[in-house]
Amino acid sequence: MDRNPPRSDPRAIVIGIGDYYVGTEPMTSIGLGSCIGLILHDTRLGIGGMAHIMLPESGGKRDRPGKYADTAVEILLKDLSKKGCTPKTLQAKLVGGAQMFANFSGNLSIGLRNVEAIRELLKKNGISVKGEDIGGTKGRTVYYCPADGFEIRIRRADGNCSEL
Amino acid sequence: MTVLTPAQLDALSELGNIGASHAATSLSQMLMGEIEMTVPSVEIVDLADIYKHVTDEVSALAIFEMQGEIEKAGYVIFLMPLHSAIRMTNTMLGMADEDREINEMDESALNEIGNIMVSAFLDATAELLGVVMLPSPPVLVIDMGHAAIQQLLVEVACDVNEVVFFHTKLVCDQYAINGDLLMLPEIHTLSQILEMMDKLLNAHS
Repeated sequence: MDRNPPRSDPRAIVIGIGDYYVGTEPMTSIGLGSCIGLILHDTRLGIGGMAHIMLPESGGKRDRPGKYADTAVEILLKDLSKKGCTPKTLQAKLVGGAQMFANFSGNLSIGLRNVEAIRELLKKNGISVKGEDIGGTKGRTVYYCPADGFEIRIRRADGNCSEL
Repeated sequence: MTVLTPAQLDALSELGNIGASHAATSLSQMLMGEIEMTVPSVEIVDLADIYKHVTDEVSALAIFEMQGEIEKAGYVIFLMPLHSAIRMTNTMLGMADEDREINEMDESALNEIGNIMVSAFLDATAELLGVVMLPSPPVLVIDMGHAAIQQLLVEVACDVNEVVFFHTKLVCDQYAINGDLLMLPEIHTLSQILEMMDKLLNAHS
């Protein structure tokens, strides 16, 4: 297996803030702070999706579905079901939701609010959470290649790499 | 988001230019070295493309809220790749060891550098606009540049998908130091700035 850190795969599709992608190709979300990288994977089909979620609720906005937890879960499920996945065959992993600075007002708990919103939506849709690497105070980069199975690689700001 | 006219973009980059050159001058005084500065670019960047503008390399970020006459105005950030940050504090504190962890002394030096530069930046731009703008006390973050900026975007871009990004690169060849000065205004601040600039331009034409 390739042990290199996530950044070393130039083929990976970079999923920017508020973006999402569904398919079999390798994908990555770089520098997740309070954002969440939500990954849904279908082991049977070797297919999956990732969203780079910034906020818990869309409040009815539909222009950028990957940006909000509620619209992101919905669009990932919709696109994955077009490829033959069902909530029963899908599993989820969550990465991110850090709290990077405490001294500014306003956004104190946005990371954890994101996590809570996503957990609840997954539960509602009957999708089990297979792994989480969330919270803390440091940024993370996540790499996922659906064709290789549901092992995701995480690189942290302190240089530590791990698998989930 | 409001689409900016070429004249407004020009005016904004001139504003950034004045601010950034004051910041660069104060940095060059602190380092006693020559600082080169790129022409500030004012870009409208889509959230999904932020990663093309801010690296996930581990950096030191001195982050300031813009405060003063404009409520909740946005942020100014001085970002340095970690090795540059250590070189910079070494230069200022007269040390040589580059291969070390960042310590409390570095952190307060970086906060101070950021503070002086960002104060100079805001003084110059605010004076031009005829308002009072001050930096908040700095928050220093050592983390992936993208991850830290992303958390600020939650504040300035929760209702929009594009941000206006003032970006200037500062380079000191003498000590191989480089840094980025970034301004992320809130959307309503930007319209206020544009309004003030329009008035200013009209008064001179």
